[in-house]
Amino acid sequence: MTQWFKSGFSARRSRQGLWGVPMVIAVVLAVVLAFGTDQFATRENLFNLIAQAMPLLIAAIGQLFVILVGGLDLSVGSVISFSTAILSLDGPAAVLIPAVFVLAGLVGLINGLVITRLNVHPIIATLAMQYILLGITRILRPVSGGTVPDIVIAAVQGSMLGVPLPLFWGLIAAGLAAKVLYGSRFGLHLFGIGGGVAAGMEEAARTYGIRVGRNIVLAYVACALFAALAGAFLAGRIVSGDPNVGLLFELDAITAAAIGGTQLSGGVGSLHGTVLGAIVLALLANGMNLANVSPFVQTAIKGGLLLAIVGLQSRKKMGL
Amino acid sequence: MAAVLSHPIWRRLAAVPPAYWVFALLLLTLWIARPNMLNPNVLGIFVRQVVPLGILVLGQLLVMRVRSIDLSGGGVILLINYIITSRTFPEASGLTFIAMALAIGGVVGLLNGYMVAKRRVSAVIVTLAVSIILVGLVQFLSSGKPPGDVPKYMNEFFDIKYGPLPLPVLFWLGCTGLMWLVMQHSVYGRYVEAVGESAEAAAFSGVPVERTVVLAHMLAGLIAAVAALVQTGSIAVGSVRVGLDLPILAVAATILGGVVFGRGEGGVWGPFFGVLSFALLFVVMTVFGIDDAGKLIAQGLIILMAAILYGARAKRG
Repeated sequence: MTQWFKSGFSARRSRQGLWGVPMVIAVVLAVVLAFGTDQFATRENLFNLIAQAMPLLIAAIGQLFVILVGGLDLSVGSVISFSTAILSLDGPAAVLIPAVFVLAGLVGLINGLVITRLNVHPIIATLAMQYILLGITRILRPVSGGTVPDIVIAAVQGSMLGVPLPLFWGLIAAGLAAKVLYGSRFGLHLFGIGGGVAAGMEEAARTYGIRVGRNIVLAYVACALFAALAGAFLAGRIVSGDPNVGLLFELDAITAAAIGGTQLSGGVGSLHGTVLGAIVLALLANGMNLANVSPFVQTAIKGGLLLAIVGLQSRKKMGL
Repeated sequence: MAAVLSHPIWRRLAAVPPAYWVFALLLLTLWIARPNMLNPNVLGIFVRQVVPLGILVLGQLLVMRVRSIDLSGGGVILLINYIITSRTFPEASGLTFIAMALAIGGVVGLLNGYMVAKRRVSAVIVTLAVSIILVGLVQFLSSGKPPGDVPKYMNEFFDIKYGPLPLPVLFWLGCTGLMWLVMQHSVYGRYVEAVGESAEAAAFSGVPVERTVVLAHMLAGLIAAVAALVQTGSIAVGSVRVGLDLPILAVAATILGGVVFGRGEGGVWGPFFGVLSFALLFVVMTVFGIDDAGKLIAQGLIILMAAILYGARAKRG
């Protein structure tokens, strides 16, 4: 246990990445905010904080899957916008909700197949997908509007036994991801594939009998499904469809994963690190809002934090 | 099918970067649909609009050939545009602005290069983070409001024409020619090619890999500064949104031109035609009345098709 704990602070020894740093930052931020401001530790603010953090948390978990295999998904934001647009169409909830996940799964499938079968670089493939999906979303819903099924709104805005429902969304997403990443062969294979890619030996996993292509495709499908879940959550929060709601969300998701110690070359990263990364980002945004820091400065600080944290994690590979 | 694909003629044709095909196709479409659009004056104006993109592409193709990427160009363009139009420096002359722009581009590029080559941080993350910081900074300084007017002399430079040829287009041609010389006939160009093929092999052969990558990023930063100056000349009033989509378009045009991470069959002129294709694409889509949504889809499909064409070839070869 102590060994495991120590590994969170060492970039060299751990396959889980540098997750100790975001944990310290998160704790320090929370303590400073709790004692430094009157508004932070109030019920409303904490409810708000959780609701703000969840879509980012869910999207970041999805992004973790593809980053682990050395990929990157830039279409996450457009999947989110697309999901809210689908949910705001006219139709029964029993059709719309499954449709969101089926379509998102299809998007992930296309991403994965284009990357593995047609040998296109992940950045380029998902960038193209981003453009195409944004276009389709604008056709479905040129400006924000429409109504979202009541059940989605109720699942986002209510609370149970004094606990806000958004927390359950996060717990379910994290639990699901934990099961898949740490409790299934698929998860183990993802780490195996990524480890080989990071070391410059793309064939390593294949020689151990791992079906590399199929697992990478599934990672992109998982990423798109988590993005759709984040989209459904956001739709419930804004109660309508919005073609711009997911704008730049993929960057926040990547930032959260990177702050959590996930290395973009693949193979190194952890679920708890990514969750901590998302919490750091949410705390930072919440704290700066309370301190009346201009949203533009917040953006700049977020970028600076990302730069500083990834600068701490040296790796062998140079370039992308 | 396989026999057809391996036929020498087909292989010869497939070796041509997709940009030339797309360009020819779009030109043909325009010629059939609106022949009257195809006069030098009209086309000159359309091509003039993509000159900032065309210049930015020169930096992008350089970093992409050393297996890196630069997404910070948008932030650089925004910051330089803000400095020139906001009257923060009311006394500054054109030359001072040029010096300031190059200094900003150089410093940003150097930072990118240091982080990518020496600290070995993912280039996507570094350049995105730098862009986020610069955009946040400009929006904070301007409180999100458009700054002020562009100095008159910059617009005048941009409007100069020699016959049907606008000065910015000639400038772009000159820059591209210069880049071609560097890539084709300088030691540095050879280094870039070697690092792109295999950084490891290049290092064993005595190529200063890290320095090559740092310099590539620094040059990309300087080129982004030049693109920013041209972009500023092309608009009358400053803006806090100008140039933000240019880095992504630059990546797209570069791929269309047959340059992908580490490989550069398209050379310098492939991406040049990639940019021209985008210029024509906007014309054709406007002619056919395709709205913004359709434009996004078409752009995505073109990037995808170009990349698939190249990906498929990489696998065979």
